[in-house]
Amino acid sequence: MTAQEVRLCGLLLQEHFGEVVEKVGTHLLKSGAQNLRTILHETGISLDLVKKSLCVLVQHGACVFSSGRKGPGSPTEYRTSCDRILRILRYPRYIYTAKTLYGDTGELIIEELLQRGHMTMSSTVKTVADRLTQNMEDGRSMDYNEVSNSFSNLVETHFLQRCPPPPRAGPKESATPAPPAIPGTPAAPVSNAPPTAESFPDCYKVPHVTLTGRGKRQLSSEDVDDQRNAKKAKMDSETHGDEGICWQVNFERFHLHFRDQAIISAVANKLDQTSSEIVRTMLRMSEVTTSPSATCTKPLSANEIFRSLPTNYNILRPILDQYLTLLVDDPMEFVGKAGESGGGMYVVNMHRALANLARATLESVVQERFGSRSARIFRLLLRKRHLEQKQVEDFAMIPAKEAKDMLYSLLSQNLVQLQEVPKTPDYAPSRTFYLYTVNQLPTSRMLLQNCYKTVANLIERRLYESKESKRLLEKSQRIEAILASLQASGAEPEQLTEVEEMITAPEKQQLDALRLHINKLDSAENQVDETIFLIESYITSTATTS
Amino acid sequence: MSGRGGRRTISFSVEAVGINRGESLPPSIQQPTPVYPVMEQKPLPLSGGEEAEYLLALKQEFRGAMRSLPHYIHPAVQRGDVERYSDKYHSSEPADTDWSPDWKLFPKELRAKRPSRGVSAAGTHCTLQTEGQKKKKKKKEEEVLLTLEKKEQQSSEEEEEEEEGEEEEKKKKKKQDEEEAEAEEEYDEEEFEEETDYIMSYFDNGEEFGGDSDENMDEAVY
Repeated sequence: MTAQEVRLCGLLLQEHFGEVVEKVGTHLLKSGAQNLRTILHETGISLDLVKKSLCVLVQHGACVFSSGRKGPGSPTEYRTSCDRILRILRYPRYIYTAKTLYGDTGELIIEELLQRGHMTMSSTVKTVADRLTQNMEDGRSMDYNEVSNSFSNLVETHFLQRCPPPPRAGPKESATPAPPAIPGTPAAPVSNAPPTAESFPDCYKVPHVTLTGRGKRQLSSEDVDDQRNAKKAKMDSETHGDEGICWQVNFERFHLHFRDQAIISAVANKLDQTSSEIVRTMLRMSEVTTSPSATCTKPLSANEIFRSLPTNYNILRPILDQYLTLLVDDPMEFVGKAGESGGGMYVVNMHRALANLARATLESVVQERFGSRSARIFRLLLRKRHLEQKQVEDFAMIPAKEAKDMLYSLLSQNLVQLQEVPKTPDYAPSRTFYLYTVNQLPTSRMLLQNCYKTVANLIERRLYESKESKRLLEKSQRIEAILASLQASGAEPEQLTEVEEMITAPEKQQLDALRLHINKLDSAENQVDETIFLIESYITSTATTS
Repeated sequence: MSGRGGRRTISFSVEAVGINRGESLPPSIQQPTPVYPVMEQKPLPLSGGEEAEYLLALKQEFRGAMRSLPHYIHPAVQRGDVERYSDKYHSSEPADTDWSPDWKLFPKELRAKRPSRGVSAAGTHCTLQTEGQKKKKKKKEEEVLLTLEKKEQQSSEEEEEEEEGEEEEKKKKKKQDEEEAEAEEEYDEEEFEEETDYIMSYFDNGEEFGGDSDENMDEAVY
């Protein structure tokens, strides 16, 4: 929980849940597990606001609660972790992925679940059907069955999962059975880690829900109210047999999907479209057989790959073999050969691919910040591990003075480290080798913290810009509302132009510039998040192997 | 690091670090580096394209939608020093009461209380509630009866004004009621933490209260 992460989490909470939740959330992040009294005392916020904030945080999975450290009788403790809150940055990407895979219905299901944290299946289906019906033409409406089918598809491919039941406050023996999937947990009465959603056998089982009907269309005339009404989860009095079973989005599955996409697009960029199709086929075949943290996929024989290729590709068998050999020989090591049976057994090396992608990111950062010659030095040090100053100059073919300058600027930014190798035990400087080296893992961590700081700065700048022009924004909103109401009630064009002229031309220019800036800052955040995802995946993959 | 004593000697050999004779060292830094240093290379432009724009639109819509949901908790507005008549018309309760989550997934202590303020607070609360002790008990888990009773005995010893016997009986009865019927309970705000149990002591002083003051106005009543 570094300072940069906490700052970024605070800003994200403030933007999405308000300042009260931000105060409570950052307090929990900084202080670890706390009970309600301590939170009250240290934040100084009133009791019901704190309770509401904690409810919101628990609802969205940002906060977990468990019985206290002193045993079953002590007050419940609340704990927050940065990772869950940082996922908020990635929500647009999740929604977009659902749209590409499952169409508009899938997109709206994921969006509803992300907005509300977790919901039951019936309420999700109803809300989504209503929203879809809003956007359809008059007279048509969305059937609940279609939405339910999309929902079931999402569950089958594990993009959605059931929420884990809450930890019981009592002694563990009488509560939920200790999940057998977590190996090595001691049979202590109170387990420290809350059970994850994965550890329950039913987490991907769709309940039998009787849901018949069609989406309802709102009859009110105001568009704004329509949206708001459609978004509120309708509390119908009927029950559908799935009370208490809440669903949440399974982020890990989305991350696997993003990782596969990153590998496929890297192959497409480095080699060509056909090789990327081959890799895509291999990944698709091993989706269900590979565990998420595996180093490489299960070996697939060339015959199987040939049979599973999409039919519109028309690759002959010997051409496929040549492509596979090319992929294996490529220095990026995406595909490896694991044996000779069945025409050759091939695997996709996940961890090595991630490491190479992270390395490419580091190199491009150095290149953009310091220039291509410094990038050459950096790549040289990555490949050759340890080099002396003189050797760097020789291998990189850069004159001594410039090489020295570049090395020192890289060293001052901590991208390159100095390793001392003494000749004598007294570390005398004249008798010690000083070698320059680059360690990929610590440098990646540092770059990740830089990314968090960047996103936090972008958000702060965006908030500052909006605050500066708050008066102008409010005025333009009011005028838009007036225009909309005038148009709805059928006004004459002169009245409309009169209202439009209430905004003067320089103000309009200012508004446009403001909108442009805010859009730029927002899409910059999205882009930095892609880098964050790559580096985070790389760091987690090394953590599991080591 | 450098040689000790008066002589200026440097302990590392000059060639190893690469400073050749006759070359000047770079100027020493005498103040912190500027906050926004000039960048030698300009950053690359953002990647545009349809996907990026769609993601941008999604992000902004999501943010806007979150603001209107009941999850967005507005900070308590400071009303100023005096209650004004227009407060009734300005204050709005947006969607706050619309959200009622599935309480089974939440710890008991986060359960929202029924808003019952302003309805004869004195009448209904005083007999049932016993301020801070009640709240303390509420916050702890209810399963273990023994620890609760021990705690209530401890806390009742702290209170000097209470009559302990009646207090404990009331509390035990209250607890039993709680366990039999898991009804929603109304309990005090923090403001009621101080002593408001005026049933016992207040009406006992029957002498000063009531009719005597009408007679004999000669004596001053203190």
